[in-house]
Amino acid sequence: MAVVKPEMKSYIWLQTADGSIQQVEEEVAMFCPMICREVLQTGMGSSKNYAISLPQRVNPAILGLILEYCQFHQVPGRSNKERKIFDEKFIRLDTKKLCELTSAADSLQLRPLVDLTSRALARMIEGKTPEEIRETFHLPDDLTEEEKLEPLRNMTDDPRIRLLNRLYARKRKELKEREKLKNVEVEEEQHVDERSVDDLLSFINGANEDSKSARATKSKKKNRRRKEQARNSSTNNETGNHNQESNCPTSSCLNGDTGDVFSPLPSDLQVSASVKFSPKLDFDDGDIDDELDPAMKEEIDREVEDFARRLNSDWPERMQEILSLGQERRPVPLSVNGNGSLRRYTGLDRR
Amino acid sequence: MDTDSDSDLLSDLPQSIIESILVKVPLVDAVRTSILSRKWRYKWAAITELVFNDTCLTSGHDKSIISCNLVNFITRCLFLHDGPIHKFELNTSYSPASPDLDQWLLFLSRKDIKELIIDIGEDDWFRAPSCVFFCPKLTHLVLVRCELNPPPNFKGFLCLKHLSLQQVIIPPHDIEVLISSCPLLESLTLSYFDSLELTIRAPNLKYLNLEGEFKDIRLENTPQLIGISVAMYMTDDIAEHFEQCSGCNFDKFLGGVPCLERLIGHIYFTKYLSIGNEQGNFPVTYQNLKFIELYQVSFEDMKELFVVLRLIVSSPNLEELQISSSSITTTTDIYDLEFWERDWPADCIFGKLKIVHMTDFSGLPHEIAFIKFLLGHSPVLEQMIVAPTIYVTDKVVKMLIDLLTFRRASPQATVKFIQEPL
Repeated sequence: MAVVKPEMKSYIWLQTADGSIQQVEEEVAMFCPMICREVLQTGMGSSKNYAISLPQRVNPAILGLILEYCQFHQVPGRSNKERKIFDEKFIRLDTKKLCELTSAADSLQLRPLVDLTSRALARMIEGKTPEEIRETFHLPDDLTEEEKLEPLRNMTDDPRIRLLNRLYARKRKELKEREKLKNVEVEEEQHVDERSVDDLLSFINGANEDSKSARATKSKKKNRRRKEQARNSSTNNETGNHNQESNCPTSSCLNGDTGDVFSPLPSDLQVSASVKFSPKLDFDDGDIDDELDPAMKEEIDREVEDFARRLNSDWPERMQEILSLGQERRPVPLSVNGNGSLRRYTGLDRR
Repeated sequence: MDTDSDSDLLSDLPQSIIESILVKVPLVDAVRTSILSRKWRYKWAAITELVFNDTCLTSGHDKSIISCNLVNFITRCLFLHDGPIHKFELNTSYSPASPDLDQWLLFLSRKDIKELIIDIGEDDWFRAPSCVFFCPKLTHLVLVRCELNPPPNFKGFLCLKHLSLQQVIIPPHDIEVLISSCPLLESLTLSYFDSLELTIRAPNLKYLNLEGEFKDIRLENTPQLIGISVAMYMTDDIAEHFEQCSGCNFDKFLGGVPCLERLIGHIYFTKYLSIGNEQGNFPVTYQNLKFIELYQVSFEDMKELFVVLRLIVSSPNLEELQISSSSITTTTDIYDLEFWERDWPADCIFGKLKIVHMTDFSGLPHEIAFIKFLLGHSPVLEQMIVAPTIYVTDKVVKMLIDLLTFRRASPQATVKFIQEPL
């Protein structure tokens, strides 16, 4: 074995899968971890007869490229910018070479080169349609149409699926609302059914001087009744109601002061069905009543009297209505408008 | 090797390469590769890194629909995934509802998760389920805006190397326990904590990053610290606390970091260090400290000035110094300019100091004296760069003249005056 003089460069011998052997400068070859390990662990590569066998994926042409990469990067003094510029130029290869290079670099465990080539390949995949990708990489289009549509595919992107979801969502919402109203109306009916005729009559016959609680109950009932009356008759007797309303200036100022307490105006009902239809609201009215000061209470009394009078006059008819409606499934059906808002639909319309 | 130009170039490569490629595209595109060909149907499902961010959002204006779609996408991806998941990152301004997030985390805890990054919502905090604490292979944990409550039987993250908690609500004692129960911890970031009193015991810790209102920080067992970056905010009750506390903050913080190479301090850091610092005591030398960056140093507070000097004098190998001055000129006290000549002997030399960069310079007497001091004691200085604050444009010329007259110990020192463009 010849003595290697310090000035002479040392070489590593590499053999590719096809049998050909190459001589490479040591520091360049040692840049590849796999070669480095072979040299250090097994001592191979020091001469032609003991050339290091490279993995099968490394053919001579690709080896040339890899060595070019190693040669540039193993020089320590280069700046990051220089390296980047070199890299960008280096990966301007055709797709086939790029894939082979990735594969070879991986088998030599040259991680930085694998990352570089992967990034280039990733750029060819990102944002491209399947057809484009198949063409770039010569992939066979061997999935059946059904398989392509299976749930495995990206769920968020198909416009058809999105449309379907939207339609389902809307349908579900409609169904839910209809359910809700059905329930509410069932409760309403119960309230209507609860009161016996005697109760109603006693209310009308002047229980005004009674205790607060009675009044509270009264006003509760009155309120409900008033609401129903307004509801039932609004579409037909709107003008009638308005006239009556205007005869009671107190009611309007009360409306302003106490908000929802006495506000069975038809328009209010349309505004927020949920407020009007919740049975709880009626009970709250009673509480509100109790907190009113005497002046208010006087006005309320007056209004109660008025209402009683009115009720008295229409009583037979009203009673008929209420009782007959109570027997139907949906006394005041509501339907969903095109834009999703509720619209009152009274049984009276049907008559 | 196939030389047929029509043959499949990519599908037969080993999965490690496929993964290397697919993790570099947005997850949405990776999932789309499932319809490329028969072989590609499940290649995406074996990748070990899942990153969900704004690239996964559908277009549109209805936030609830977008949020719902995102949740569905994540759930289905996880469900269809096959194999270990080493990295999971969720980075979005939407806040998935708690049951979904909890289930995802539970699923991940069973999949050998190593890196977990969760940064969701803009204003709300999520509650981390206990399964997060039982991911034994976790090496990298980043949590933003969450509530952490380590369960009593939590023994620590034995593999954790990187921990970052930002705006996290956690009982103060638990955070100490959390840190000290991660024996391999190398990097720690704590941001936006309120009034934290913290003792850090982390024998392998190399990088420390703190930002927030800290009442008291003690580095008790951190011999391997290389880089420290601290931004300290002040509130009224912290200021009060400073009045009353005993002990020297400088020693508590920098007393046990002999390997320190880089120190960065923002806002009230120098003020914090100045509490309890007695003049004349330099027990520790920082042999490896090469870069010091201090921002918002008050050159009117003698104590802060003393902290800066202590730092520089204790770092014989200091190469680069960057200081920005806080330009609050509040006092009209008489400046003790004799301090420089009197307390700092002439043989105090900064033997390796090469670059000094002073910003927000407003021409205060001590600032000028400091520059003069450095120029006179730095034999290998190459650059002294001074950038004045925009509020002193009228005095600039005078200051420039003054600076140029100072004696320079280094023959190659250049003094540059940089005026920031308005």
